[in-house]
Amino acid sequence: MKYLHLSLIIALLALKAFVVSAQDESLTIWADDTRAPILEELGAQFEEEFGIPVLIHELGFGDIRDQFKTAAPAGEGPDMIIGAHDWLGELAVNGLLAEIDISDVADQFLPASLAAFVYEGVQYGLPYAAENVAFLRNTELVPDNPETWDDVRAVSEQLIADEASQYGFIMFDNNPYHFFPVQTAFGGYVFGLTDAGYDPSDVGIDSEGSIAAAAYLEAYGSDGLMPSGIDYDVMHTMFETGDAAMIITGPWAIPRIEESGVSFEVGGIPSGPGGSGKPFLGVQGFMVSAFSENRILAEAFLFDYIATLDTMQSLYSADPRPPAMLEARASLEDDIMLGFVAAGSEGLAMPAIPEMSSVWSAWGNAMELVRTGESSAADAFGNAGEQIRALIAGDE
Amino acid sequence: MTFASSGDTRRNTAFGLGLILRLGAVYLGLIVVDALALFLIYAFVLDGVWELAITVALITLMINVIYLRRGLYAQRWIAPALALMCLMVVFPMVYTVYVSFTNYGDGNLLTKQQVINLLAQDTYLPEGGEVFGWDLYQNDAGDYALWLTDEAEGDAYFFATLGAMAPVTGVAAGADLPERYQGYRRLSRGESLRASGAAQDLVFGADSSPIGIASRRQAGEFAQRYVYQPDEDAVLDRESGALFCATYGVGKDESGAQQKTGQFVSDAGDTLRTGFIAGVGFQNYLRFLTSPAIGGPLARIFLWTVGFALASVVSTFTLGLLFALLLQNSRIPFRKAFRTLLIVPYAIPALISVAIWKGMLNPNLGVISNAIAAFGLEPPPFFIDPGWAKFGILLINLWLGYPYFMLVCSGALAAIPADMYEAAEVDGANWRQKFFGLTLPMLLVAVGPLLIASFTYNFNNFVIVEAYDEGGPPMVEAGTIPAGHTDILISWAFRLAFGGGRGADFGLASAITIVIFLLVAAVTLMQFRLTKGWEETSQNV
Repeated sequence: MKYLHLSLIIALLALKAFVVSAQDESLTIWADDTRAPILEELGAQFEEEFGIPVLIHELGFGDIRDQFKTAAPAGEGPDMIIGAHDWLGELAVNGLLAEIDISDVADQFLPASLAAFVYEGVQYGLPYAAENVAFLRNTELVPDNPETWDDVRAVSEQLIADEASQYGFIMFDNNPYHFFPVQTAFGGYVFGLTDAGYDPSDVGIDSEGSIAAAAYLEAYGSDGLMPSGIDYDVMHTMFETGDAAMIITGPWAIPRIEESGVSFEVGGIPSGPGGSGKPFLGVQGFMVSAFSENRILAEAFLFDYIATLDTMQSLYSADPRPPAMLEARASLEDDIMLGFVAAGSEGLAMPAIPEMSSVWSAWGNAMELVRTGESSAADAFGNAGEQIRALIAGDE
Repeated sequence: MTFASSGDTRRNTAFGLGLILRLGAVYLGLIVVDALALFLIYAFVLDGVWELAITVALITLMINVIYLRRGLYAQRWIAPALALMCLMVVFPMVYTVYVSFTNYGDGNLLTKQQVINLLAQDTYLPEGGEVFGWDLYQNDAGDYALWLTDEAEGDAYFFATLGAMAPVTGVAAGADLPERYQGYRRLSRGESLRASGAAQDLVFGADSSPIGIASRRQAGEFAQRYVYQPDEDAVLDRESGALFCATYGVGKDESGAQQKTGQFVSDAGDTLRTGFIAGVGFQNYLRFLTSPAIGGPLARIFLWTVGFALASVVSTFTLGLLFALLLQNSRIPFRKAFRTLLIVPYAIPALISVAIWKGMLNPNLGVISNAIAAFGLEPPPFFIDPGWAKFGILLINLWLGYPYFMLVCSGALAAIPADMYEAAEVDGANWRQKFFGLTLPMLLVAVGPLLIASFTYNFNNFVIVEAYDEGGPPMVEAGTIPAGHTDILISWAFRLAFGGGRGADFGLASAITIVIFLLVAAVTLMQFRLTKGWEETSQNV
């Protein structure tokens, strides 16, 4: 029995040694199911040229972040992951990401998308797609894109008065991501923007503009122009059935809207007293693990194989999101996609500070309290501003 | 004992082959179990998960002792259960208690050694240091050499691993790199990429200003920026000269600000990029119990949790019992069909049921809301008004829970002897007296413990709360940490750990979990006291 155990240990050691030596000369990438096949293909080319195998592990997009947080410190993580830029704060604050030098390709990418992958002055990722919400309207009910939020209200009132549709413009009860363009149109903001990026000490949730936008929403709802209890599905279903004429949504909803057969156009966010409505840019990209033992390899794959027009275009055709690479962006022909690109031309990168998850919930709750009439716009957003400030200061 | 052993001996001699087979099976089983355990322990140790490695080792030791010691024969049959209990119940509990005394969470995810190792990878360019482009060379012995190109000046240098710097001669500036140089062969791009992992650890040139590969393009006189100094338990930033001391402190500094725990902090108050796991004593418990933002909603959420669990148990039990009594009546036609149909909610996964109910209750599109609106009434705001939201969640829980009690009560009712009813009828009892004096007490003997189990289950019924509206609608009064009107303790603790606060805060969440555990334990204990009465009833039967 003793010898059996002993031989087993030796076998295991040999196996582990083999695995370790194999790891030294390979590159592991975690990607979601849409992008994994494209990377598989690139990996095969890379292996053919350099003799280094690229192993692609397929995970659910949301799982990548959580699993990476567990696996990377344990030494089981990948060399590179695909992810969203708003994971950056959470991953960087835990020291899990490596700085990458993008100076070779910096001028080929949308500046805002590159900036999105900067955390505390350090570049942690290479973007491939930058997406944002835009203003969608049912062209049979609303032929022209409204220019201002006052127009939106007027058009909605007219539609309801004419009984052309049940409602005009509707939006999520509690989703700040969809509400942010309205907030910016009224001059509101979430964090003050400086040259070095967002300034977490300048919270703008309770700024005059933000409260004005919330007050617009409050009056819009209490005047009967929009019901409460609207979530993602309800909003889209009402738009698809013609019960609502205008919504704010992103490119991910296009397949289901097209399927419904409703005729629609994608336009810019209407402007307000604060200027044009600026949506958040959500940027997807590649990040390199701080625990990777093959950082030079990872960078070589990243810059020689991924940061190319061909790859960017195949990533686009696998899952149409506006590309972050300027050349790929310029070659877009689809009207819908161009509508989103135009609406996002002034977009602002979503803040990536680790506190963002609480910012979202405080902000979303403020919206919901306004929409349900439980608090006034000034109270709800004022309170949310205080909560976020206290949170960032670090005391409960 | 003597009798048993002599019996054994007799059997052994009589069934020698059987004994060998039996022992063989035990040993073979043990070998398989031990091999598996060794593999796990080995993997855990490699990953640095010592806690699990020790737990598995102890469990394996226990199994071996039990199976190899004669006197512990009876324990054999519960050994697998004991092993699983240690691994799945005892270990997580001990670990949770441990985590509750640490700052484990976002920003403090790594061990101190891991942070030090990470920091050691950072390099900086000392003043006057030069940066070059690099190409890798290798000789037949496998040693690497570095060809450096100063792109601005056009100069080239050659470094062998062990040799000193050798200025390149005989190669014109700007010309292609030679394939061979001083016995070294130039590596192709693929080869140098493959070797980059190993070559990155090498240092070339003189000791005073060593040259290393820093990135894909750059090599140069980079030096390690952060050096850990064990004597001072601090990290020295060689670029700025600042010393970052490790902090483990608990509580507040002189200015009253929360002290950073598990961080490397300089005198200026700057911290290095990530913290490490450190013990914080009772800080998590104090934060939980003293913070008004957490303490405020706590009382309301606790009351709702108790109310939710109690109302769920009472409503599901009442409806289940009602159906069970009705279906007991033989005058009802199609009893079996009804019973089958009524069990359906129990057979459908709860998540699906909740999703369907959510759709039906939706104030804008839902069937129920539309039906109410069709009568000219205002549909109730199920996800908006706190009261209606609570009603909605109880309604769904009733739907999900009554079939269980219907099943249990049907069985328990059938077990009540019919002659007791006959005796009651002889005594002239009416139906109410029969129900409250006979049926219910007899039923509670059997169902009582299940009511407690159901209460405890609902006390921690995370799934329905999360699936219904993620705890919403939000409480206006909630502080920096969001809380909702339908949140129960466990869903709120989840939000504290993963949704709210600063990302994931496992330390605080563990502390809250332990407080919740104590609350549930107290409530359960109280119930057990109360149900003593039922047990006495059962003993008198």
